[in-house]
Amino acid sequence: MTERADQTAVGHHHDDLDTTGLAYSGRAPSHAEMAGRARRFGAWYYAETTLRGMRAYLVPNAITAIGQPLLYIIAMGLGLGALVGSGVGTVDGVDYLTFVAPALLVSTVVMSVTGEMTYPVMAGFKWMRTYYGPGATALRPDQIALGHLLAVVIRFVVQSAIFWVIAVAFGATTLGWSVLMVPIGVLAAVAFGAPLQAYAASLEGEGFQFSFVQRFIVMPMFLFSGTFFPLSVMPVYLQWIGWLSPVWHGTQLARVASYGAEVPGWLIAVHVVVLAAAGLAGVLWARRVYARRLIS
Amino acid sequence: MSVLDRTGGPAGAASLAEPGARSSVRSVLERGFTVIRNQNWIILVSGFFEPVFYLLAMGIGMGTLVGAVEGPGGREITYAAFIAPALLATSAMNGAFYDSTWNVFFKLRFAKLYEAMLQTSLSPWNVALGEILMALFRGLLYAVGFLGVLAIMGLVTSWWALAMVPVAVLIAFGFAALGMGVTSYMTRFQQMDLLNFVMLPMFLFSATLYPITVYPEAVQWVVMALPLWHAVELMRQLSVGHLTWITAVHVGYFVGMVGAGLWLTTTRLRALFLR
Repeated sequence: MTERADQTAVGHHHDDLDTTGLAYSGRAPSHAEMAGRARRFGAWYYAETTLRGMRAYLVPNAITAIGQPLLYIIAMGLGLGALVGSGVGTVDGVDYLTFVAPALLVSTVVMSVTGEMTYPVMAGFKWMRTYYGPGATALRPDQIALGHLLAVVIRFVVQSAIFWVIAVAFGATTLGWSVLMVPIGVLAAVAFGAPLQAYAASLEGEGFQFSFVQRFIVMPMFLFSGTFFPLSVMPVYLQWIGWLSPVWHGTQLARVASYGAEVPGWLIAVHVVVLAAAGLAGVLWARRVYARRLIS
Repeated sequence: MSVLDRTGGPAGAASLAEPGARSSVRSVLERGFTVIRNQNWIILVSGFFEPVFYLLAMGIGMGTLVGAVEGPGGREITYAAFIAPALLATSAMNGAFYDSTWNVFFKLRFAKLYEAMLQTSLSPWNVALGEILMALFRGLLYAVGFLGVLAIMGLVTSWWALAMVPVAVLIAFGFAALGMGVTSYMTRFQQMDLLNFVMLPMFLFSATLYPITVYPEAVQWVVMALPLWHAVELMRQLSVGHLTWITAVHVGYFVGMVGAGLWLTTTRLRALFLR
């Protein structure tokens, strides 16, 4: 016992120890020490695991992260923009490319989060059971849920940043405050992704649910959230889709950051509160569902 | 042998006992419809809503920003009327293509369904044609539904629009035949993602949401090589009843695509399983 206590003491002095190397050398920190670290930093540990897993899809993910902004900015911003230019001319006081670029950033990130928070969550519980191994360690279920979300957030920080750089390169926005589009895009992604994660975790088996989410929530959200045109041009009976949609709230914020769209201060506050509340509610819900399924 | 027959299914057990009794493309279709009836009809039906959502959002919303657009023959048409035929062509493509790629990939690599089918007296030709006909059925369903929506929205102005239904099936045939052949080369899930990298740009750049004339001429030639562009143009011409000799070129493109796709798929199935 005393020997082990000594090792624990040593471990405290070197918090950045290479624990894997130590384990091979037989001088790993004690189990209690390792468990203590897992309890403190478990979410980060799980996020690291998930990110390492994502490396298998690095090439397709990178192509998506670079290809999507290029495709959408060229097709929608320039192609469709040419039509709008010969139609009404400017939208919201700016040319169409400037108007649509922040919306494209937000909606592509939110659409990508759907992929990360449906099938991989189902795989974690059912197909590959990747949650159960970590679940059997000192990690708590809520850390696993949060860790998965953190990894996804890190991925989307990178993806949004790439989009922003490409938007700047195309002259769709200018350097400066527009960089706030990156955290705004990630916030919108969490506002949709966290509740979706909880919902996916609550499903026992895969059926038509994910296809339904894709067809009846994600697709309408993309199309009816004032992405391609101001929400106000839609008839009122379709505008509510935008009001409920994280894409619209995120898009409006991103427009303010990108070209200073005229949004009153109270409405900016509403957008931020709605997104933060949805994300928080999702995280809390996910904690409960993960705890129920991993502790039995 | 009789034991196997009994486990194979109670319904046609007796007739299946005779070797080759119904081993034709019909058996493949029968299986396809059974699966739809038992499992995925709800997914199938939900696919109909995608082009409708697009039409509502872009037609109504973008329409207010864009105004009138030059349609086939130089006539001014509303933006909704401009994109509606393109969305029908895209939906025919998507329905058939996903049916014949992801669906087929799963059956080929995971469920090993074709391996099992070819152990019977079914030929590669039977299997390929059966699967492609299933994809066509889906295309037909969506085309009829979408044409109904167009009629309700007042976007149908010519009797030629009725021809959009068989033409949607032809478009679906082209994509399904080629899609299944291409899928036979895929061995891993990640490779399937490549299909998305082809499909999304094709949808965005095939003059679906704006006229091809916004591109520089060199880009126009590239777009004109894409199958979806021919599908979109064909549908657009039919929607207003403006037919020219180019209509025949578009139809010819798809007839050729069907032939090439069928040949590729059958050859590949033979190479994969009947060595």
